[in-house]
Amino acid sequence: MDFGLTETQELIRTSAREFLADRSDPEIVRAVASGDTEAITELWKEVVDLGWPALAISEEYGGAGLTFSDLAVLLEELGASLAPTPVVESAITSWVLERFGPESIKSDLLPQIATGDILITPAIVESDASWNANSARVAATKSGSSLVITGEKRFVSFAEQATHALTLVRTDDDEPALVVIPIWKAAAVEQTPLDHVSGVPVFSLAFNEVEIPETSVIATGEDAIKATEELVAAGGVARAAQLAGLGKAVLDATVEYTANREQFGRPVGSFQAVQHHLAEMAIAAKQVNHLVHSAAWSFSQDGYSVERAAQAKIAASDKISKLCWTAHQCHGAIGFTWEHDLHLYTRRALAWKTDYGDSAFHKSKLANAMGL
Amino acid sequence: MRFEFTPEESAFKSQLSSFLDDALPADWHGPADESRDDHWALNEQIKKGLADRGWLVMSWPKEYGGADSSPMMNTIFAEEMAYRRAPGHDRFGTRMFGPTLMRFGTEEQRTKYLGSIAHGEIQWCQGYSEPNSGSDLASLQTRAVEEGDYFVVTGAKVWTSLAHRADMMFMLVRTDPDAPPHKGISLIMVDMKSPGVDVQPIINMAGLHSFNQVVFDEVRVPKENLVGDLNDGWRAGMTVLNFERSGIDYAAWARIALEELIEYVTKDDSLVTAAKSDPSVRIKLAELQTEVEAARLMCFDVAWRQGQGEVPSSEASMSKVTATEVYLTVLDYGLELLGMYGALEMGSNQAELQGRFMKMRLYYTSGPILAGTNEIQKNIIAQRGLGLPRK
Repeated sequence: MDFGLTETQELIRTSAREFLADRSDPEIVRAVASGDTEAITELWKEVVDLGWPALAISEEYGGAGLTFSDLAVLLEELGASLAPTPVVESAITSWVLERFGPESIKSDLLPQIATGDILITPAIVESDASWNANSARVAATKSGSSLVITGEKRFVSFAEQATHALTLVRTDDDEPALVVIPIWKAAAVEQTPLDHVSGVPVFSLAFNEVEIPETSVIATGEDAIKATEELVAAGGVARAAQLAGLGKAVLDATVEYTANREQFGRPVGSFQAVQHHLAEMAIAAKQVNHLVHSAAWSFSQDGYSVERAAQAKIAASDKISKLCWTAHQCHGAIGFTWEHDLHLYTRRALAWKTDYGDSAFHKSKLANAMGL
Repeated sequence: MRFEFTPEESAFKSQLSSFLDDALPADWHGPADESRDDHWALNEQIKKGLADRGWLVMSWPKEYGGADSSPMMNTIFAEEMAYRRAPGHDRFGTRMFGPTLMRFGTEEQRTKYLGSIAHGEIQWCQGYSEPNSGSDLASLQTRAVEEGDYFVVTGAKVWTSLAHRADMMFMLVRTDPDAPPHKGISLIMVDMKSPGVDVQPIINMAGLHSFNQVVFDEVRVPKENLVGDLNDGWRAGMTVLNFERSGIDYAAWARIALEELIEYVTKDDSLVTAAKSDPSVRIKLAELQTEVEAARLMCFDVAWRQGQGEVPSSEASMSKVTATEVYLTVLDYGLELLGMYGALEMGSNQAELQGRFMKMRLYYTSGPILAGTNEIQKNIIAQRGLGLPRK
């Protein structure tokens, strides 16, 4: 086993950290949370210039050809900085397109994703809030050589910025299918903004007889289920990587605060009761970090590990929100204020707990893989 | 990043595994009870087998009969041994005292003792804790007074594992009562057959005799048995603890216990049928599997860091806390699944899984306490790892 970062990964970490320290400060996070879409667009332009959407796309499709492990290192930094930018959405959809899409779609869309000309966001969940690959009810009705899409997808991140949605639908044959639907300023796609605790834009999308060519289909039937399962697993690991970075950032901030805040004439961080809270936070952050790296590494092998992907999201969902809770306890009253930034992290941690499957969802997946 | 073993590591793991297939009785589930003569004979036999294959001290440098194996390889060895609940490991000699002797011992001492450890011929025990010195070890009071060519040792050591099976003890004694606590301590080796050594069994809460109180009444120890400099024993003694503090045994025990539970709830003829049909059981087992894997990765991270030349003190503490706690958590859940059967003692009529879950649950209550309580470990994590102030 090798727990170390490669040279490339060190480089990704350092450059991401520098850029994000400058460009994703709490003010921008707060601005985006209160509806400043301009800030998202500005940041995304720079993210595209840095080549982050191209990172895990193969070189033959115009990407950088790096691994999922490399991506995870980047996502940790994005999580730590709370950067309101759709790197996960773009990376996960391109990942699935490259593995499951027909050549015509891959050679058309992937290079455009890499250059940031298009942005594809996943649209999987519906009103039942399920990430189950077989649960879609949005209808794709055949009409000549077209498909007509009708129904509502919920909890679609960055839909306002996205040009397309990678959408899980159900065909006339009652089979699931994954299709790419253009949504940018599409008259027949109604976007309803949700007020989401993550502080990034989240929408529900109503497709009112949206007509798309049959060639927009990525996968159907069993393939669509496999592709969606991989999308949810990869998305879960991606969110877990962000949560790992977020947890480490919250730990660091709490160490800093408790080492400096004095009561009874000494730093509160010198009291064992507080030190033990911090030690537990450090353990949790480290556990999530290892499980994320192990899972991300498995995506670089032939077929990812279903077990490891589930473990990463289970641990991240359960442990990082708990870590944030403990951080609040260590910060006392100041951390309870709107003015202090700690709640920005807590909100994100609570929101991402359920994104790409909550802990119970992934435990069930893991139990299946364990033969239970 | 690479989260799999190298081909060389995998090959070693399977060699060790097939050795244990032969060496362990067919129905072996452990844990070994060292006070039972048949189990102790098995311990000795496996220890010899490991020594013959060069595995017992493979972590040692070649000049002392080792193979200079990597910390990763050593952790794989420890994991497999624990996973099989195999005795014969001799961590006191091979993992703790041997390396200390290499660093602090004289040429003569190394020649005399290292070979016998490497060949599995001699059993060591560790004399550190005392009735009034547990977590605050530096307050230890067992005295060693110089008298000609001897130290005369008087006092008591406690929680001494394997003292009833050991040939020799390495122990910390106070040689300068007037110096500050850490400065007046020396490390010496004592022959357990010396007149005045009295080994008194302490039966633990699991009903097993694994540790002892050892009383020293004017025991004469040759001065040549001093390891390191006089009054410099704290430094040498703490080196031992760095080897002691790893969670891999517990992580491996947790893994095998969880696998046994899963097998139990999935097989057709298990008696506890409620567990099989309850979906919450699936969820809980998956949660535990995640925790066990996290603990395992924590331990291998320590090994990886050691291989990079680091001294991962805080990480080792994290692995110890995590693994000892997850093991008890798995055992507790096992007892919950076994329901009324969980309360049956090992060997009882009608016990399920031989009653070993309760036995282990009682026995490994010690995990979060021994080798530095988990509270002490958290102090280490906070102070050494996170840099928080002591005062």
